[in-house]
Amino acid sequence: MFCLSEMEDTVRVPPDLLNLPLEVAIKKVLQKLLLNKVLSIGLCVSIYDIKSAEGGFVLPGDGPATYKVRFIIVVFRPFVGEVIAARFKESDSNGLRLTLGFFEDIYVPAPLIPRPNRCEPDPYNRNQMRWVWIFEEQEYIIDDSCQINFRVENISYPPVPTEQAEDAKPFAPMVITGTIDDDGLGPVSWWEGCSERNNEDDDT
Amino acid sequence: MKNIIVKANAGALTNFEVLDLLNSRGASKDTTRVIASETVSRSEYKVYDYLMETAASTQTRDSVTKFSDKCKGFKLAKAEILNIINLRPSSDVELTPILERPDEREIDIEGILALVQELLPPLPTLEAHKENEQEETEDGEQPNMETSV
Repeated sequence: MFCLSEMEDTVRVPPDLLNLPLEVAIKKVLQKLLLNKVLSIGLCVSIYDIKSAEGGFVLPGDGPATYKVRFIIVVFRPFVGEVIAARFKESDSNGLRLTLGFFEDIYVPAPLIPRPNRCEPDPYNRNQMRWVWIFEEQEYIIDDSCQINFRVENISYPPVPTEQAEDAKPFAPMVITGTIDDDGLGPVSWWEGCSERNNEDDDT
Repeated sequence: MKNIIVKANAGALTNFEVLDLLNSRGASKDTTRVIASETVSRSEYKVYDYLMETAASTQTRDSVTKFSDKCKGFKLAKAEILNIINLRPSSDVELTPILERPDEREIDIEGILALVQELLPPLPTLEAHKENEQEETEDGEQPNMETSV
């Protein structure tokens, strides 16, 4: 789910950083600008390397030194079809929301939750709905008790809204839609010790 | 800042490689780290925390490279190999969602699982739970751990 990306940009290094070695100073500026930000290519997770920096001119009337920098960053950008281990964050009548800690906008919409299922108010959390999968008369609750494996269906980068309602959810610049509707997906506890069962009801 | 993307994909990284990178920067499980660390930022620590709970935390560069090489004989796509390394499936049912149309291709599922077992160490918490030597242990069975929000 991670990859390297090479970029080029103009970086302004403020005067207070100029006593540091150039590479360190540029890295600091890049970190402030890019770390944990969503770019068109995904979420920038780390600055990997500075390949080159040229320039260093100070423009008239300007304090910072300007450099043209070529650098490599580590980006979080899963591929469609990738199976990822995540944790349960919350759920509502639309579906589930999963999290990786550093990325929390993973949604499993209701149609991608295995059926038959039902959605009921969560007895432990008044504000939440919880989902329960019903299989062979057994009920499997989806909650935060264990890791949940999901498969990436789609990644979207919604455009920044020009206005938002007061109580709207914070804007998510990168949204991953996942599915848990397949053998081996969903809470890992569902599949424990299943290799024996699997031989009988192999219906793939 | 007008970012110019020179190369959107300059190489895929396994979770192991990202963890290795953060480790080399000085990331650790030490509780004083968040205040003290100059080289690893808070957001990078969130990635570190996530990766430490996955198979990547018990892998080595050597085992990952060896595994990749040996996978060549199994006719898997690069993305599938990467996914297997990251997820470390230990049973048939964990491996199949990773593979694309497994029924149409003749994939040696048993062979792949045996290779995983041989070369990739089990997940961190699994060592604690493993009393008997049952091979078909499910990966990822973890007690309800902290959610790093």
